[in-house]
Amino acid sequence: MPGKETHRLNNANPGGFATTQWSIVLTAGKPNDSDAQVALGQLCELYWYPLYVYVRRKVENVDDAQDMTQAFFAHLLESGAVARADRCRGRFRAFLLTALRNFLANQWHKEQALKRGGQRLKLSLDLDAGESKFRLEPSHECTPEKLFERRWVTTLLEHVLERVRAELVDAGKQDHFEHLKVGLAGDSEAVDYQKAAAALGMTPAAAKQAAYRLRKRYRQLFREEVARTVADEAEVDEEIGRLLATLRE
Amino acid sequence: MSNPQICPNCGAKLPDDAPARLCPRCLVAAGLESHAVLAESAPEAPTIDSPAASGFVPPSTEQLAGEFPQLEILSLLGYGGMGAVYKARQTNLDRLVALKIIRPEATLDRTFASRFNREAKTLARLSHQHIVNVFDFGEVAWPTAEDQPNRPLFYFIMEYVDGVNLRQLISDGKLMPNEALAIVPQICDALQYAHDEGVVHRDIKPENILIDKRGRVKIADFGLAKLSTQKEGEFRLTGTHQVMGTPRYMAPEQLESTHGVDHRADIYSLGVVFYEMLTGEAPMGHFDPPSKKVEVDVRLDEVVLRSLAREPARRYQHASEVKTGVEQVCGVHAAPPTDHSASLVDPPAAGDEHLYNTVRWPAIAMLVGGGVNLTGFLLWIWLLSRGNYWHDFPLLIGHNPEATAWIFFLTGAAGIPMLFSGLKMLQFESRRLALFGAVMALVPLSIFVPLTAPIGIWVLAVMTNSKVRAAFRHA
Repeated sequence: MPGKETHRLNNANPGGFATTQWSIVLTAGKPNDSDAQVALGQLCELYWYPLYVYVRRKVENVDDAQDMTQAFFAHLLESGAVARADRCRGRFRAFLLTALRNFLANQWHKEQALKRGGQRLKLSLDLDAGESKFRLEPSHECTPEKLFERRWVTTLLEHVLERVRAELVDAGKQDHFEHLKVGLAGDSEAVDYQKAAAALGMTPAAAKQAAYRLRKRYRQLFREEVARTVADEAEVDEEIGRLLATLRE
Repeated sequence: MSNPQICPNCGAKLPDDAPARLCPRCLVAAGLESHAVLAESAPEAPTIDSPAASGFVPPSTEQLAGEFPQLEILSLLGYGGMGAVYKARQTNLDRLVALKIIRPEATLDRTFASRFNREAKTLARLSHQHIVNVFDFGEVAWPTAEDQPNRPLFYFIMEYVDGVNLRQLISDGKLMPNEALAIVPQICDALQYAHDEGVVHRDIKPENILIDKRGRVKIADFGLAKLSTQKEGEFRLTGTHQVMGTPRYMAPEQLESTHGVDHRADIYSLGVVFYEMLTGEAPMGHFDPPSKKVEVDVRLDEVVLRSLAREPARRYQHASEVKTGVEQVCGVHAAPPTDHSASLVDPPAAGDEHLYNTVRWPAIAMLVGGGVNLTGFLLWIWLLSRGNYWHDFPLLIGHNPEATAWIFFLTGAAGIPMLFSGLKMLQFESRRLALFGAVMALVPLSIFVPLTAPIGIWVLAVMTNSKVRAAFRHA
């Protein structure tokens, strides 16, 4: 059935994550719950860059910034800070920023003392790559908080687009992404189907169909990714609205 | 895609960090539930396998012709997320009309028909010179596939506007600030009227603002209109993606929810459109006030920024106030209706009396100064021709005939550019020539420098004024 087929762009990718990892973390409520640890770790590995940008904006020294970021994640994963997260404030994004702010204000010096005591980070963060990326950041007047929010959105989008692209590659349709991606940001009329069809060696009608599936899959994955960072799936649209507002500011 | 730096969907400039060179705002907006409703409803459509389900393919004029015997369908004007618009002739009245059909996938919802009827009646009630008139509406049976039952195709018959939309004007770069200032008050009139009627447009954007050949503004597609006097939720127009406006033009409160949105959301959207008309791009991030980006009166900044206030309560509360604000800045009469088929010959003169006067007096002084210089030169020629040699002339310099000749020659030489400068200023034509004349008036070439130097300074002062510069640039 065509309806089934649109569910995934291919059936070969078994990957996929639990839908709302953040809710797993929140409901666990115990620092040593291993599911929660794993879920939180996955989230952190995805969204560390916006945090790094925030720290780096506050701290001039690259080494210090990298140490602080590492230490923050170690603190987050091991101290059970999450268990104290306020359920009502739901969103992972807001939680992370607040936790980081508190950490920078209070914890950093204590952590400094403990650092050589062997706390080890379980996440693999390529902080050096992050630093080179940071050097490309525009040095405009926007606050570290704003930059954090913005990077959050771009990180999220890059991740979703990467997933879409990876699915296409697995399905042997890597060219589809380049030729049909314009349709993701627009509606079905955004794509020049004649041109795309010629490039992809299919009929314009088939190109249109492919673009439709791509859009649909993108929307699904995007909502899935957003859902991972909110406490309840019902909050997804609200969070998307806030992300949109972030981009306007 | 015409320009890779501009989002083809919303017209915004792509930020440097745009993922995959796609507009982040549109990408995020595409994830909204309201978009998803549309996508998920599609598989129920009987024609899922046809391209029509995955993307709307507008019916051909021939296909439609049979369904609308009262119309002669001439051509497809355009189509978009909501449906398609055709140019047609209403045969019995022999007038051109626009036929707008709603894409069938958007009308699957059972309650659509009643909502459509309610909306259409509201729209038909609006009658204003700056709002596209709705003449008729209804539904016709539309054959979907051989083995499927017919489905209703909803349509509007509307006033046909022969012209362009504001998006086209903005992207062609043809829109001058003084034209923008002529367009905004007309939009305000239309909005104020609709708001008084209890109708909020909810999707004001350049694509929905049409300008006919005579320069009159017509607002189309009160497609998201919602009766603001009715209870929240009672009249939610369409259940599909049309509930949302276009993110870039949407007021913050509209972005966050579709509830609690009143006519002030239109004022915000108008502010975005206004900003874009002046600067060529929609306000994003920490945007500069318009006067920082282009040469417009700084007083316009306040009008634009107040329309764009985040808090509805801090915005202008009525569209008519925006109009008043604009008119206070540019004098009561803005530029006359713009005709984009003809080039604008004398916009500053028409657009701004005050500006014209600012330039006129120094221009006349320049003409007088140039005239005096030239008269001196001609006098010398005349003396020469009468055989009165210069050593008889009282203004001899050390009885040096050559020096005297040079002085008179240079006096004439300074006079000619000054005359041209004055003329060009009066015609708002060449700012460079005007400046050259001013410099010539300042350089002590002529014996009349004590007279011409102040004129030169005056002209320089006037010509470097930002409004004057803008007027010359656009002329």
